[in-house]
Amino acid sequence: MDVQDEMRQRLAARQQGFTLEQPFYTDPAYFDVDMKMVWYREWLFAGHDCEVPRPGAFFTLQVGDYPVIVVRDREGQIRAFHNSCRHRGSRVCSAARGTSARLVCPYHQWTYDLDGSLVFARQMGPDFDASAYGLKSVACESVGGYVFISLADTPADFGPTRDMIEPYLAPHNLADTKVAHETTIIEKGNWKLVWENNRECYHCAGNHPELCKTYPEAPGVTGVSGGADDPEIAAHWAHCEALGLPSAFRMADDGHSRITRMPLLRDAVSYTMSGRPAVSKPLTDAIAADHIGAMLLFHYPTNWNHILGDHAITFRVLPIGPQETAVTTKWLVNREAVEGVDYDLDELIHVWTETNDQDRQIVEENAFGIRSPAYEPGPYSSDHEGGVDQFVDWYCRIMALRLTEEDSPTLRVA
Amino acid sequence: MLKITDAPTGSPYLHLDEMQPWNDHLQTLECVWVTDEAPGVKTFAFRSDNQTWFRYKPGQFVTLELPVGEEPVMRTYTLSSSPSRPFSISITAKAQADSIGTRWMFENLVPGMRVKAYGPAGGFSLYDHPAGRYFFLSAGSGITPMMSMLRWLYDCAPMTDVSFVNCARRPDEIIFRSELELLASRMPGLSLGFLVEERPRTQSWFGPTGRLDLTRLALLVPDFADREVFCCGPEPFMRAVRVLLEASGFDMQQYHQESFGTGPIEPVPAEIAEASDGLLPSEAPEVATTPVTFTLSGVEAEAYSGQSILQTARASGVRIPAACELGLCGTCKVKASGPIEMNHNGGILDDDIADGYVLACCSTPRGPVSVEA
Repeated sequence: MDVQDEMRQRLAARQQGFTLEQPFYTDPAYFDVDMKMVWYREWLFAGHDCEVPRPGAFFTLQVGDYPVIVVRDREGQIRAFHNSCRHRGSRVCSAARGTSARLVCPYHQWTYDLDGSLVFARQMGPDFDASAYGLKSVACESVGGYVFISLADTPADFGPTRDMIEPYLAPHNLADTKVAHETTIIEKGNWKLVWENNRECYHCAGNHPELCKTYPEAPGVTGVSGGADDPEIAAHWAHCEALGLPSAFRMADDGHSRITRMPLLRDAVSYTMSGRPAVSKPLTDAIAADHIGAMLLFHYPTNWNHILGDHAITFRVLPIGPQETAVTTKWLVNREAVEGVDYDLDELIHVWTETNDQDRQIVEENAFGIRSPAYEPGPYSSDHEGGVDQFVDWYCRIMALRLTEEDSPTLRVA
Repeated sequence: MLKITDAPTGSPYLHLDEMQPWNDHLQTLECVWVTDEAPGVKTFAFRSDNQTWFRYKPGQFVTLELPVGEEPVMRTYTLSSSPSRPFSISITAKAQADSIGTRWMFENLVPGMRVKAYGPAGGFSLYDHPAGRYFFLSAGSGITPMMSMLRWLYDCAPMTDVSFVNCARRPDEIIFRSELELLASRMPGLSLGFLVEERPRTQSWFGPTGRLDLTRLALLVPDFADREVFCCGPEPFMRAVRVLLEASGFDMQQYHQESFGTGPIEPVPAEIAEASDGLLPSEAPEVATTPVTFTLSGVEAEAYSGQSILQTARASGVRIPAACELGLCGTCKVKASGPIEMNHNGGILDDDIADGYVLACCSTPRGPVSVEA
């Protein structure tokens, strides 16, 4: 029995409302199937438009085995390419970010234009057809200041995601921001544990003293129940929508993304120790009102976000191995905002720096315990962990579906 | 003497469609003939040593590696031959007393001798700017790319409307004059004009004399405004032409000039020397050099007129990494200050330029320059 059969059987036998069996969190072979079935097929959050502000600006990322370049071309369009030279495969861009008129492979200086076409390859002989050796493109979409990529040969239609989240993001003008601070932490746990932890605030009271000054523990805020039956949330939506800000809870039909605007505690307007704004220049002058709370967006499997009036915090999840996950956090502020004048960096990043580190410990302890031979799946809280259950359901559903497709002889490539 | 049977032994005669194009890193060039064109001007013709043919655009150039001393020198010459006669190529060069590479060729290059060459390359060709009517304007040996294009038109599109003007100091210095007159007798659309600076004392001259100005231009080519202009000659000449055309309201989109600021080019002594001939005495450049300081290496160098920063660096032992040498890949990006003219091909961003960077391969000092290399 190969690993795919084994996974399929375990998924079929899975007890609803319970955590997954141990190998889903630990087994390298399962991890490889996760990469193939989820990460190499879904739309992944790569970074922000504001990280490639000018033609020639690029950043790179690594998704499993795939190094990828995201670059803004001469016409201003954001494009993504496989970061592998068509000559002998070397990485063309080794820097995390930079600006370059052309993409030049450091090995033999094969030179690619910003649209991926090969424009120069030294002394390749008269029969060399440069047009056959452009950089391979990666599907790339920009929406509301977010850049998504898909490594799939035939990417899923991005249209429904765009239609859902664009109206919510548009008023925040995130394409015109700047990254005030960025951190990447490595959490020694499976990527699904990172997500499971994110998808509930059941753990917040005992672990996140800084975050809990401003962020509500109410299950309706973090979870996927919507929250319309909570009068405070309903009032918040009415308040925000009256300001022209789409706010009501929306979730994609297949559950891979959710967007909604949630109130913060009491008078808080930002994730600071005081609850007061961290940045005196709001993200955009178009939203002058206070108390718009936090817009919460998740998009499986790569990102969750908190978008406030004064800044936005975005999170990118990238698996490194079966028991290692990189989480990159970016604090976006108004492009004109000046550190030390319009914001104090320590104040801006304090709450989420602490919260991230607390979450890292939680995930690592979780992973420790799961590695125990004594581990067996446990039940989620029906009150608090609806969001976790929904995430695990999403994962199990697409995995079961894709493993079945893979098994179908009509779909199997000879 | 070279004979047809000198082809590599055992290799049968090949038809064009059976032959591979010349490959500059596999095959050298073999000189097949040398002829005098005008005082101090010779044409050198080459074939490949391996039964290949030459694929190029009329107007392109080759770079020859000439074994002048211990270190070979690289010299770039536009081709005077036409790609419609693809079995050989020719260059036509003018040598002055102070030229090095061209002087070496004049004294040493004879039929049967082989030299290494790179190319053909360059974007100065009517291929890239098709038009109904052309105006080929040249001075001195700047006639060579024009001759290549005209010979190509004669072979392939002989009814083309071309106004061909060459400026020279004296009538006997007009290169290809008799061939041009022959072509004019067979190409109904070719109108020929020569402008000489000095009226000769010992022969009659019926053409205009003096330096090119708007009056003479209108006289030689009344409808120049409606033509696609290709211009080649010493830099002061081309600069004067640009000023003239701009002043006349000419659409500069229709103007193209041979620029030795791009390409894998070492300076062309013929061009430098010729410039000092004084086609336009008031604007003749000094053959004098421009100081270039390489700050990281602590080297004080001198750039010859037309020599790029990269060439100057190489000549003085300063290493700047470079790959395409066409202003395209950006490998030779360096910080530099001082009066610099750069003709890049998209290999550098405006922001980099604003930050004081240049591409060394396609940047020429226009005065004292300091380079971080």
